[in-house]
This record gives sequence, structure tokens and C-alpha cells, in this order.
Amino acid sequence: MTFTDDITEDLRRRGAVDTIRAGIAEAPALGRGLAVTFLLALIGAAGRVTIPVVMQQAIDNGLADGGVRVGYITRLCVVAGVVVMFAAVSQRMAVFRLGSAAEEGLYGLRVRLFDHIHRLSLADHNEERRGALVGRVTSDIETLTMFFAWGGLAWMLNLSLMFVVACAMLAYDWVLALVAFAVVAPLIVVLRLVQKRLVRAYDGVRTNNAGMLSLMTETVSGVETLQAYGAVEPALSRVQDATARRSKTSIRAGIIGAFLFPSGEVFSVFTVTAVVGIGVARGQGAGLSAGALVGFMFLTYRFLEPIAEFTEVIDQTQTAVAGLRRVLGILDTPIGPPPPSDPVTLPNGRLGIALNEVSFYYAPREDETTPTNVLSNLTLIIPPSQHVALVGESGSGKTTIARLIARLADPTSGRVVIGGVNLKHVANDDLRRRLTVVPQEPFLFADSIAYNLRFADPLASDGQLQRAVEELGLEEWIATLPDGLDTQVGQRGQALSAGERQMVALLRASLVNPDVLILDEATSSVDALTEVRLAHALRKLSEGRTTISIAHRLSTAARADRVILLADGQVMEDGSHEDLMARRGQYSMMYESWLAATRT
Amino acid sequence: MIRAVVRIRSETLPVNTSLNRFVVAKNLIRALVSFHRGYFVVAVSGAAVFATATVVSSYGVKLVIDDVILPAFGRDGVSFGTWFVTSLIVIGIGVVRACGVVVRRSFAGKLQWATAETLANRVLRHVMSQPAYWHRSRMTGDVAARAGVDTDAAVAILAPLPFSTSIAVLLVVAGTWLIVTDAWLGFFATMVFPAMLVMNVVYQRKVDRFYRSAQDELGELSEAAHESFDGVLVVKAFGAEERETERLAVISRRLQTARTRAIDLRSTFEALIDATPSLVNVTIIGLGALRIRSGDMTVGDLSSFVYLFTLVTLPLRIVSYLFSELPHSLSGWDRVQQVLREPLSPTPRSINTSIVERSSTMAPVMVEMEHVFAGHGSEDVVSDVNLRVEQGDTLAIVGATGSGKTTLLQVIAGLIQIRSGSMVIGTSKVGLVFQEAFLFSESLRYNLSLSADTNSDTLWKALEVACAAEFVREMGVGLDAELGERGVSLSGGQRQRLALARALAMGCELLLLDDTTSALDPTTEEQVLRNLGYFNQDLTTILVASRPSTIALARSVLYLDDGRIAAHARHADLLATNVGYRALISAFEHDRSKDAS
Repeated sequence: MTFTDDITEDLRRRGAVDTIRAGIAEAPALGRGLAVTFLLALIGAAGRVTIPVVMQQAIDNGLADGGVRVGYITRLCVVAGVVVMFAAVSQRMAVFRLGSAAEEGLYGLRVRLFDHIHRLSLADHNEERRGALVGRVTSDIETLTMFFAWGGLAWMLNLSLMFVVACAMLAYDWVLALVAFAVVAPLIVVLRLVQKRLVRAYDGVRTNNAGMLSLMTETVSGVETLQAYGAVEPALSRVQDATARRSKTSIRAGIIGAFLFPSGEVFSVFTVTAVVGIGVARGQGAGLSAGALVGFMFLTYRFLEPIAEFTEVIDQTQTAVAGLRRVLGILDTPIGPPPPSDPVTLPNGRLGIALNEVSFYYAPREDETTPTNVLSNLTLIIPPSQHVALVGESGSGKTTIARLIARLADPTSGRVVIGGVNLKHVANDDLRRRLTVVPQEPFLFADSIAYNLRFADPLASDGQLQRAVEELGLEEWIATLPDGLDTQVGQRGQALSAGERQMVALLRASLVNPDVLILDEATSSVDALTEVRLAHALRKLSEGRTTISIAHRLSTAARADRVILLADGQVMEDGSHEDLMARRGQYSMMYESWLAATRT
Repeated sequence: MIRAVVRIRSETLPVNTSLNRFVVAKNLIRALVSFHRGYFVVAVSGAAVFATATVVSSYGVKLVIDDVILPAFGRDGVSFGTWFVTSLIVIGIGVVRACGVVVRRSFAGKLQWATAETLANRVLRHVMSQPAYWHRSRMTGDVAARAGVDTDAAVAILAPLPFSTSIAVLLVVAGTWLIVTDAWLGFFATMVFPAMLVMNVVYQRKVDRFYRSAQDELGELSEAAHESFDGVLVVKAFGAEERETERLAVISRRLQTARTRAIDLRSTFEALIDATPSLVNVTIIGLGALRIRSGDMTVGDLSSFVYLFTLVTLPLRIVSYLFSELPHSLSGWDRVQQVLREPLSPTPRSINTSIVERSSTMAPVMVEMEHVFAGHGSEDVVSDVNLRVEQGDTLAIVGATGSGKTTLLQVIAGLIQIRSGSMVIGTSKVGLVFQEAFLFSESLRYNLSLSADTNSDTLWKALEVACAAEFVREMGVGLDAELGERGVSLSGGQRQRLALARALAMGCELLLLDDTTSALDPTTEEQVLRNLGYFNQDLTTILVASRPSTIALARSVLYLDDGRIAAHARHADLLATNVGYRALISAFEHDRSKDAS
């Protein structure tokens, strides 16, 4: 599966530094105590320049021509040992602080993401984006975890090391240090040039890898179709092309990396010979000693040691920044209907609904220039306790009206009023206690039926659940289940039939005891007995409540108090079933043809 | 009706004893290397060059100190020539060493990716040769993962392998060199190698537990997030956003705890593995001073000793990555081997079924079944089926939920094995169209022809018959329109019509429709079924249906009850004579009859 990068990534292209700064702003724990951590890392790095310094001291003062001063060397070694251990403790603290701060920060970022994604509007939650959203909270955050565990740590430790070594070099002899830096300078140019190619190569690897994996999944999913039509061989050769492409780009990236990796070492031999040559030429006159030159030589090797590791973590760093950018893109996406700043409480009693000159359109996609109008200037008044059926072809605006009333979206213009209050001023909690939606494909969580019912009301007692079952006349059905209300429904409720899932959804809705009920009728066919039970439960559930049904079966429309026929976001016909039938308009034609099709 | 899914579980690795672990690792490496031995040999040669050059470079350091630096600051002084030659030697060794690295890394990459390619293609060819019923008892994602991520995990061990062999070479050569330079100090220094290796192994074992539990938590988190986002409509409808975030936060917190524990352990390990060589080096300098006093060593010897020791301990820090890769690779390899070792299941067609291509003189029988019993697992879903369908017939299979309609259709399609009885199919050109149409994220042309060389006219004709031509034309890009994730999105009914068009474009002679038109509105459905008759008089169609209007279009109806044929007659006759059938049809019509009440 490929994770599409579309979600707002293009809206605001940030540079790497801006991205990191924005990331720290979103997850403050990442930056907390960073200065102390770096200080500890610097002390830790000091442990790694100890050996060159000890060598210099030993050669110049302890091993001076002829005599070996054992006492001096012993003292030197003891001091060095203590320094090394002290540095090790500092480094340990630095590594732990960085790692645990990163985990704390990433935890915060994850929770921010969960919260934000749950509050995104439904338009941002469509099928195509589902995989991408899950990808943000898992694989994208994982790239950051991996970065802090390896790349980030390497940057911190190695940058501190290079800094400390550079300081030590300057302290020993600034002329030699400048010589060393001058010889190393071209390496930076080489690194930048090759690094660009490496990053591009790794981009290619990622694209080809994702392509290969999704093609594999698709081929295996399509095995029945491919076998049925004898098309397995061509499908396999497509996969072979994809795996070959992936190998080729991976090997290429590997070769670029292979040349980059030892570049630090190659430069260090050149630097060492230059340093030794110039050091020797300047000689004692410049205040140099043999020990200092040896120590300097060791420092030079140390200075370039981290280059190899840098070339290893470049790709990881790039991936992490891209991951962070995508995560921030989600957080930049505005959340769905915004909560009211000054909420108004809904009045008690049954609620009526009014749509006043409501228009709605989806924001145009990239490839479209004009927005698609779903509703334009629609006015509709639904008195309390009325049962209204919305009828019309797909795309006529039925679902949009239901979503606007449930405040799963806000109208582009106009007002939706419920119980006399503008929906925008109703607090979400208040609304959810008074209004419930039963979606077309009722979603169940992989747990028991009871768990799914309590999703509506976490505090509902067993008795309350039982009462709900009895009220909807479903006790007979529950009795047929192996564990009654404790029956596990399986992933997405798959252990139940489509009709049974509907029943759970109705029970769940009834636990809210809503004043307004919005029913998106299921299209899937169910067996006769389930059909009878469902119809009965539905009737019970909607009794006395303001009910808006999105009717796919015209039998539902026929049972409603009022039928509204929609086409292209406009009300075409509005009245009782009998009225509309008598009018012999479009509705009656639809009804006749539906009747004919379901009859023999 | 709990859907049975056999999930192939990855076997837990028998890593109780280190010997066992060693043997398992050795077998894994041997097996993986055997695919592309040449690359491995070149990579290891590069590694050997690198290891040798590393040891020799310490000799260069000794030369620089003893022949250049010390004389320069001593009484003798140093000539330009000496400096120049020494520099050339140092640079030469450095370049050779770098070349070794380039060869090692390049060929390790070739080895890894070429092996992944070979293995992935082999796995995919194998699973694609398994019959449909084999696939049905498995999860698609799991099977695809064997060729994809599992294969990649298995070969991941190949990347650090040449480097590890070079470390082994390095340790032996450097150890010898150190001992030769100074037996006493050398012995002391080489004792540190096994100590650091042991530290690595101990750390790896301890930290593995935390990484593993972190991995489990991550899996759980990903599953829960998927569920929560899938059900976002319900979450919003019940105002449960905060509760759901809280649920996910609890799992995230557990993940964080496991990871932080691993970091705690790791920071101690890293500090130890960094400090140990430094401490040993300090000791070496102290002891070395004594050796210099006794005249057993020069300052250059001691410096090269310290230099070499530092160089050798550097890779010892990284060797832990190899250990950490091993369990991951092993489980990937196991999962790959599980599918490869599974023998190919027989195709259902090979048992008790014969395909007799119709000859012009014989009676054109398309399906003939005699006493056929078949089902999933050990239970028969259809029993004692006797059926004869002639060319040009349309047969509707009708029955209550669970009566075996789909199973019977799949037996005819050759997706399910016959347990006993016999079946003759009069053509090899059978097209089965499922209720859930499968489309590839490819062009419409590819989806209709599946790489066969079908001309556009045929494809358009098929689209016309399936009532799909109109909406395809409306898309405006014709047959080259891309479908799927990045292309046109289609409704369920449109997908079903394309799948039907595919069967027609393939030129099938026996068309099997498993509720294929269920997502169409009744009028379009009727139109599609009528078109089939005009399209080809000789086309034989068997369809599973539940809409009375659809059933009425079939020439005859096969009424199934509990897996047995209850009746086989015309729809009108059955309605008139069969009480059970009448009850079933009125149940289908229930929706309509309710209006009257």
C-alpha cells in the first residue's frame, strides 16, 4: 500500500529548518532541556580526545629523550582514566536525555495527531485518505523515532566530537589547525554534491519500493480474476519488472553511498601528511613538540571519523524531515465544524429542524476549476416529531442534508437551525446527546456487542442495555447469539451478518435516547426474518422522534409522514406519500417502476 | 457466521541455547548466500583488502612517528625525501583501504538486492500458482507480505555480512600484529576483543525484550488507529472523539515506556562500549612507558599500537547491529520458507472433472453434473447435485441464505473441489464474475483485457452489452482512463458492470454471475441481462439472484434448499406448484408486501 502524500503537503512547503522548528513547537518536549543535553554531549566528547592528549603529554614530558618518568606517566594515566569515566557518565546522560525527550515528544505528537484527525471533517476522511491518515500516526512518526534513535543521536554525538576536536586542534597549534581545515574544505563540496545525488537516488528507491509492494498486494488480491482469465503470467512479468526496477535503484543508491562512505578516511590521510609535513618544516622554532605533532595527528584522524557515519544517516534524516512535514501537514488541516465559542443550550422537548437558504459545495479538487454544487439555496422546515424520508438519485443531496443537520459538516452559506438554535452555536456534547446518526454501513469495533452499545453511553448499566434490547423487540435475536450481548463481533463486525450489524447500530442509537434521529438506510439485502426484525426495531426507534431517513427503498418512503424528492440539490416534490402518488409526478413514476422491479 | 481465516503464524524461533542460535544463523546465511555466490565472494574480498590495509596502516603511523616526527624534533632532523616517501606510503595504504570499502559496500548491496529480487519473484510465482481456494483460506496482505516485507527482512542480514567477515579477519590479523609488535602488551590488548563481543551479546539479548514489546505495542496501535479512523463517522456521531483519543493515547504511552526502557539500557551500553577502549588505551600507554624504558618498544611502536587498537575497537561497536538484525532476518526467512515449502495444491478442475470442448456433431452440453458433493473443509455444502445445462441456456440459482448457491456456482467455475461425483464442462472459456468486482489500479484497457491482445472494438462492444459504455464515455478519456487510487473512482454498480464487460471481452462461452448485478438499479439490471441474450445467442449464463424480476428473466430456475436441489423448473411453474419456493420469493418481495399493511 502506498501512502499518498497529498494531504496539504503542497499547501505549505517548508524548508528543513522551518519544519524542525515547527515540529518542536507542536511537540515541545522535543526541545525541552536540549541545551543541557548538548552540554553533556560535549563533555562526553571530551572523553574521546583524551587519548591524543595523553599521547602528547607522555611523549613530551614522560618519555623525553632517554629517561622514562614512571611517576609522571602513572599520574597522567590515573587522571586520564578519571576523565574518561566522567565523560562516559556524561555521555550516558546525554544519550538517555535525548532519547527519552524524543519519546516523550513523539508521544505528545501522536496524541495531538489522534485528536486532530478525529476532529477533521468527514471530507478529509474519505476512503482514499484512510491509509494515509493511519500512515501519519504510525509509519511517519516511526521515521522520527528511528531518526532520534540513530541519526539524531549520531548528529549530536558526532557534532560534539568534531567541535571538541576542532577546539583541541586550535588549542595545540592554530596554524596547523587551519592547514588541516583548509585540506578538509574540498570534502565539504564533494559531500554536498554527492549527497544531492544520494538523496535523489534514495527517493527513487522509496518510490520503486512502494510501487513494488503495492503491485504485489494487488496481484495477490486479484489472483482469482487473473487465474480465471489465464492472465497470471503477464501479471507476474509486471511484478518481475517492478522488482528488477527496485533492485536496480537500490544497488545504484548503494554504490553512491559506497563511494561517499570512505571519503572522510581518504581525506584524513591527505590531511595527516600535510599536517606532518608543515609541522616538521616549522619545527621547534614555532613552539611545536614531537608529542604535540603526534597528538595532532591522532586528533586529525578523530576529526574526520564521524564523516562515514554522517553519510549513513543522511537518508534517514531526509526521510525523518519528510515524515515530520507530512505530520505537520495534518495538523495544519483545519478541523471539521469548529466548536462554538459561546454555546447555547438546546431547549428541552422534541426538536424541530429548519434549513434556511442553505448552500453547500465541496472545495474544488486540483484538477477541477469550478466547485461542485451539492445544495443551492435550499429551505426546508421539519416540525418536531415528524418522520421525513429523503428520496432521490445518488448525488441529489440527500446525504449532504443529513450531514448538515447532524453537523458533520457546516453549510457553505445559510443556516441550519435545530430547536430554534443555530447549529453553529450548539456545543458538540449537547448536540450528540440529542441527535444521533445511524450510518448506512454501521461501523462496529472489534469487541463484544455490549462494548459497541456502550460506545453510545459508557456508563450504561447491564440493565439499561437489556431494556434497550426489549424496547426494540430484539431479545429473540440476542438469544440466538452464542454469548448474548457478550458475543464478539469480530473485526469491523464481520462475525455478524449485514442485517445483524444494523440491529446493533439501532440498539446503539437507542441508548442515546435522542430527540432527533438520522437514518441512512442500508442498501445490502438481508434475509427475510432479519428484515422483519429490522423493520420492527426501526419503527420502535423512530416512534415520537423527529426522524430523517435517507430512503433507498421506496417502501420506507411510503411509511414516512412526509416524502421529499430531491434532484441536483433542489426539492422537486414535497408531501405525503399519498399526495405525491396522486400528483402523478416524478415520485409516483419512480415508485411504480420500483414496484414493478421488486414484483414478479 | 464467523468468517474462517487461517492465518499462517510465524513460528517462534528456537533460540534457547546459543549453540542452537549459531547453527540456525549459519544455515540462514549459507542459504541466502547460495543465490548469488559471486557477489558474496567479491564483497568479502573487498572486506579482506580493507581489513589488511587497516592493520598495515598502523605500520604507516609508526613510520611517520619513528622516521619523520621524532627525528625532526631530535638531533638528526629529517629530509624532504623521507617525508615524501613516508607520505606516499600512508596515502597509498589509505587509498587501498578506501577501495576495499567501496568494493565491499557496492557488492554487499548487489548481493542483498539481487537476492531479494530472486527470492521475491520465486515466492510470488509460487503463491500465484496456488489455486483460488488456497488463497481464500488466507489473508491477502499476509500472503503478499511473504514476497515483500518478509523477503526484505530475510535478506537484510546480507548487507552487514561482508563487513562482519572483515571484522573477523581484522581481529585475527590485528591481534597477531599486536602480539608480534609486543607480546606482553599485545596479549593484554587482544583480551579486550572477546570482552567487548560478550558485552554486545549480553546487551543485545537484554534490549531485545524491550524492542520486541515495543514492536507489539506498535502493531496494536496501528490496528487500533486503523479501526478508530475507519469508524470516524460513529465516533463523531456519538461525540466520542476524546474517548477514542484517550484509548489510543494509552497504547501510545505503553509504546513510549517500552522504548524509553530500551534507551535507558542502550545509553549505558553505548557509554561502556565507548569508554572501554579508551580506558584500555590509557592502561596501554602506562604499561607501554615501562616497555619503552626497558627498551622493548619505540615511541612509534607504542603510537601505532594505540592507533591500531582504536581502529579495531571502532567496528566492535557496530558489530551489535549484526546481532540485532539476526532475529528479524530469521523470522522473515522462516515466513518465506513456509510458503515456498507448501506443495502446490491440486487445481479443483483436476479432480472428477473433465472438460470436453464441444464438437460440432455432439449435443451442446455446457454443464453436466452427476451426484456431485462438495464443500469447504470437511462439510458438504452442496449434496447430490445432478444438473444438465445446455448451450444458450440461462439458469438462475435461487435459495435462502446459506443454501449453497454460491458454492454450487464456484464448483462449476472450478474454484472448489468436488468430493465425490463427476462433472463435465463443455468449454474451457468460463467467465466467473464475483459480487465484489476486482479491478486493478491500471488503465481501463488493462482491466478489460488483462494484457491479452483484445482490440478496442471488442472492448467497446463488451462495455455496451454491460451497460458500461455510457459512463466510460462520460469519463472523457476512454479506454486509457486510469482506475483506482490515483485515477477515476467508480461506484459499486459501475465496478460490477466493468467486471462483467471483462468476462464478455475475454470471449467466455459459459458465464457465471454471482449476484453480479446486485448493486445496479433494477431497470439497469434488467437491461444488462437482456443485452446478454442479444449479444450472443450461444452464450450460456448461470446466475445467482435474489430479485424476483431478475429471476423471472432466466429460462429455468434451480431451487436449492439446504444444499440439495429441491426443484428445477420454470419460475412461473415453481411459483404455482412449490410452496417453499413461493414462500422464499415472497420473502424476497417482503419489502413490497409490507407497504400494503
